[in-house]
Amino acid sequence: MSRLNRDVYIAILLLLLCGAFFAASFDIRKIDYGILTAAAWPRIILVALTVLSLIYLVQSLRRGAPPEGTKSFSIKGVIDKYRNPFWCYALFLLFLLTLEYLGMLIGGVLFVFCLLTVIGGASKRNLIIHALIAVIMVGAMWALFTFGLGVIFPQGEIFTTL
Amino acid sequence: MLFDNIAAAFHELFVFETMFLMMVGVVAGLIAGGVPGFTIAMAVVLTLPFTFGMDAVQGLAVMMGVFVGGLSGGLMSGILTGIPGTPSSVATTFDGFPMARAGRPGFALGLGVWSSFFGGIISAVLLVTLAPQLARIGLEFQQWDYFALVVFALTITASLAGENLIKGLIAGALGLLVATVGEDEINGIARFHFGNEALKQGFGFLPVLIGLFAFSQLLSDIQDRVRARQSLAEGGGVAVKVEHRKAIAAVLKRWGNLLRSSLIGVFTGILPAAGSSISNILAYDQAKKASREPEKFGTGCEDGIIAPESANNATAGGALITMMALGIPGDIVTAVMLGALLIHDVIPSPTFITETPVLAYSLFLAFFVAHFMMVALQSYTLRLFVLITKVRMYVLTSVILVYCAIGVFALSNIAFDIWTLFWFGILGYLMRIFGFPLAPMILGVVLGRIAEQWLARALARSEDLSHFITSPWSLFFLLLAAFSVFFPKYQADRGKKTWTLFYPAIFMISLCVPAFMMGGAVRIVLGILLIAMGVRSLVKHHRNGWKVDPAASGAPQLREG
Repeated sequence: MSRLNRDVYIAILLLLLCGAFFAASFDIRKIDYGILTAAAWPRIILVALTVLSLIYLVQSLRRGAPPEGTKSFSIKGVIDKYRNPFWCYALFLLFLLTLEYLGMLIGGVLFVFCLLTVIGGASKRNLIIHALIAVIMVGAMWALFTFGLGVIFPQGEIFTTL
Repeated sequence: MLFDNIAAAFHELFVFETMFLMMVGVVAGLIAGGVPGFTIAMAVVLTLPFTFGMDAVQGLAVMMGVFVGGLSGGLMSGILTGIPGTPSSVATTFDGFPMARAGRPGFALGLGVWSSFFGGIISAVLLVTLAPQLARIGLEFQQWDYFALVVFALTITASLAGENLIKGLIAGALGLLVATVGEDEINGIARFHFGNEALKQGFGFLPVLIGLFAFSQLLSDIQDRVRARQSLAEGGGVAVKVEHRKAIAAVLKRWGNLLRSSLIGVFTGILPAAGSSISNILAYDQAKKASREPEKFGTGCEDGIIAPESANNATAGGALITMMALGIPGDIVTAVMLGALLIHDVIPSPTFITETPVLAYSLFLAFFVAHFMMVALQSYTLRLFVLITKVRMYVLTSVILVYCAIGVFALSNIAFDIWTLFWFGILGYLMRIFGFPLAPMILGVVLGRIAEQWLARALARSEDLSHFITSPWSLFFLLLAAFSVFFPKYQADRGKKTWTLFYPAIFMISLCVPAFMMGGAVRIVLGILLIAMGVRSLVKHHRNGWKVDPAASGAPQLREG
């Protein structure tokens, strides 16, 4: 175990990915025409990726475990370090999951407002500023695409039922 | 013919709406280039969704405006705050910031603006004259030559990999793999959909690009909790008046430095993967070496601003030469531009200029015009830049994240594209954390389908694989590809290990083989010259007893930008 480091795990993950895609390449429908079958090119790439991942694995194993004194891994430490990106992804996921119900405009405004408040703080003054920024900036871009470029965004079931 | 094409392009481009949109693009580029953390590539990527509703000329002209604006925008923050807006303006800060602190910010900005302008114009002239000549060679290409050319372009990933070659190559291969998901364009068969209906169509190019590059970049910018709540210039920026007249006189007085730096920029741009992030440092270094007062560099010296700024704009022209003449991207920005061509149903290839001359010449003209717009708008943008530097980073990030979603949805009006953006945003962010460069992956995504198509066409014409070696152009590109893969290793070991002494000689001697195979007086003479240069290099090292020169090491590293 002492030889393991972060790169070893990534290399193993890559090899697993290659394996999964190799297996999936056998599900690609075969055809009787053409010289290059639909599975040929992906398999060429997968062979290259597998070889590269193996080299990466060997390199990482040779390098061994991280030196003494390196900060040990802890979930709390990771969450603490990557708090802002975590919030971004979580709120963006929520925005995506509710897109069908809230629509692009309301969903977008709420996403920006929540993200600004989570990262920037929720004092009374901040809440007002964040709400204004969210409404004006998202509203302006939504209007530009809707009325200027003729894009039809998801309106949201919440509106259609109202 | 040349003038006919220019006249036709003139009619297409000089329309009020296109000019107005280009101006907006230049302003957006200037601002994006000026904000540290927002790269030019990111600005060009984010512009893509706005160009869907436009025709190809208009859309690409706007992107050209953003590109040129972005290259010049970096100098504003570099000179005024000491933080380079983009990697292409790193060297500008060496003398620009000291000059600004010494009480001459207006003059420093003027030098930067006008050096950018002249550098860009010099490269535009070379673009118009060289690209069509180079493209004529493309007419000789057969199917296997095209495939070999794309293979060569893919090996650029090795140079874009930076410090870790294997990680870069893995990223490039991952990009190729991503491009195989969905319907195969040759036979129309769905691949790697894992039972998901949406995946049968494959990933949209733009959501992948924005997710990988912009989304992940934005999250990196706000990772640090303290930095996220800060504005770019705590305490506010300074309003400055650009000293145009004085700057023009100073730049033209140093025309030797201007010309040399511009040529360095163009040449660096033509070389695949060597973008403006390296040319500005190379030009600065050369200007310092050629100067009679090298000790003044770093203290606010005029030549120290002229060299990097003229070089980075000239690099754009060089990269466009490669992109338009051969259909391969010179750097990440031209890779995105190639993607934009695909979105507008234009297949980038060596026949691009001959088959779509109006579009090609419109791009040439747009590159010219964008430089004039950049000069005209820089003073006004400066005020806007000062305002934006007061906005806190997390505010910019939050708003741009939702803009990414809106822009991506506008591509084909399907929510799946936003999911693609999300997943690739996570992948891009993880890749950044784990030290995988993103540029090779983007190159893989852009070139993957093109490579497969040319391979299929080559094999459809003949199953004999020896054509890849017997066709002179194919052999030429495969040799270039082989040497390109080892170039980063050569760069790292140069001046340290003996094998590097052989690399240039073997490179030149091996290239003479396809040159002789091509026939024709000029190419045979070139082949003989290559042999002579290779042998000369070997003899020189033999006389020196195969000793390595440590002074040759320490070449600037290529970086994403």
